[in-house]
Amino acid sequence: MLLLAIDTATAQVSVAFGDQGAVSGQVQLAGGRRHAEQLAPAIDYLRRELGVRLDHLAAIAVGTGPGLFTGLRVGVTTAKVMAQALRIPVVGIPSLDLVAYPLRHTDRTIVAVLDARRHEVFAARYRPVPGGVQRVSDYAVHAPAELIADLLAEAALEPHGLLLAGDGVARFPEEFSALEHAELAGSEFASPSVAALVTLATARAEREEFEPPGELRPLYLRQSDAEIAWGDRAAAG
Amino acid sequence: MKLSATTRTADETHALGRRIGALLRAGDVVVLEGELGTGKTVFAKGIAVGLGVREPVVSPTFTVVREYDAPTPLVHVDVYRLDHLQELHDLGFDDLIGDEAVTVVEWGDRVGALLPADRLDVHLELGAGDDDRSVWLEAAGMSWAERRDPLVAAVAGD
Repeated sequence: MLLLAIDTATAQVSVAFGDQGAVSGQVQLAGGRRHAEQLAPAIDYLRRELGVRLDHLAAIAVGTGPGLFTGLRVGVTTAKVMAQALRIPVVGIPSLDLVAYPLRHTDRTIVAVLDARRHEVFAARYRPVPGGVQRVSDYAVHAPAELIADLLAEAALEPHGLLLAGDGVARFPEEFSALEHAELAGSEFASPSVAALVTLATARAEREEFEPPGELRPLYLRQSDAEIAWGDRAAAG
Repeated sequence: MKLSATTRTADETHALGRRIGALLRAGDVVVLEGELGTGKTVFAKGIAVGLGVREPVVSPTFTVVREYDAPTPLVHVDVYRLDHLQELHDLGFDDLIGDEAVTVVEWGDRVGALLPADRLDVHLELGAGDDDRSVWLEAAGMSWAERRDPLVAAVAGD
C-alpha cells in the first residue's frame, strides 16, 4: 500500500511517501510560515526522486493538529484536494500523536507538547502500550504554567515519571525545568514524526478506517466558530 | 496590575502611547478598547513612535492588518470590520501574533478568546472635558510583572 503523508501542524513542513507502512523517503523543511509555498514543491520533489506515480497512491495521510492555523489549513486542504482528485481516501491522525508514537518504547508517561504561539502550548499525555501509545488526556491548549501545574499535581501518581517531547518544551525551557524528575526527549522528537504518520495511517487504511475528505477537520482547539459580539458597532456589516 | 491616567488632549494620548511603546518587547500583545473616537488609533500611533516606526501609521480599519518595520516590528490590527472569529484565523492571525513583533489589536476585547492571557489591555473612555480621556491599563503576565516600575513611570508621565 503506497501512501503520501503530510504534516504541517508546526513551523516545519514534513512530507513522506510510505510503502507497506515503511518510509520510502521523506523531506523536512524548517522554514516556518512558508507552508503554502513549500508543501506542493516538496511533494513534487520527493515524488520525482522516488519515482512514485501519484495514481498509484492508495491513500493520503495528514496530521490534523492541534497546531498553527495557517499551516494546518495548508496541509489538510492539500490532502483533501489530492485525495479528491486521485479518488483515494484520506486518513487524519492528530499531530500530537505523531510526537508521542516514536517514544513508545519508554516506561514513562509521554507528554507531547507543541508550541501554540501566544505563550501557549498544545499538549496531550500518552501511556506506552504494546505496539504503540494510548492517549490518556484530552488534546488541550494551555499556558505552560497551567500545564506544568497539572503535571506536578499528577506526578505523585506516575511511578515511572514523565517523558516530555515536542517543540513546546524547548520553547519554554525555564518553565519546564520545574518538572525536575521529567526526562526530556531529544530535539529529534521536537516535531510530529511523518514516519509515525506513515505507520499509523497505513494501519488505519488497512482497516479501512477512512474519513470522507469533506468531513476531515483539523483540530484547532481555539475557538473559531463564534460571531464577534458587536452590539454597539455602527452600521454593522 | 491596574493603572490609570487622564489625558487632556490627543497629543497627550499620543505621548502616553509613545511612552508605553518604548517599554514594549517582541511578543507583546496590546489590546485597545474604547468607543469610536476615544483615541485608540492615536494611542496606537504613539506606540509606533515609541517602537521606532518611521513610516506614518494609518488606521487599519479597512485593511484589518498593517505591518510596520522597526527594530521591534509592529503589527497593527483592527477587528472592527470583522463579524466572525474565523475571519481572524483566515488572516493568519496565529502567524501574526508571533515572538518577533509587537501586536496592537484595536477592539481586541471583542476577540479575547483568540488573544493570549499575557497582555496589556488599554481601555480609553471619554472624560469630563471634550478632549479629556480616561485611560485604564491592565497588565497581565510574568513579563509585565518584571516591567512594573517602568510601566508605572510611563503611565505617570515621568
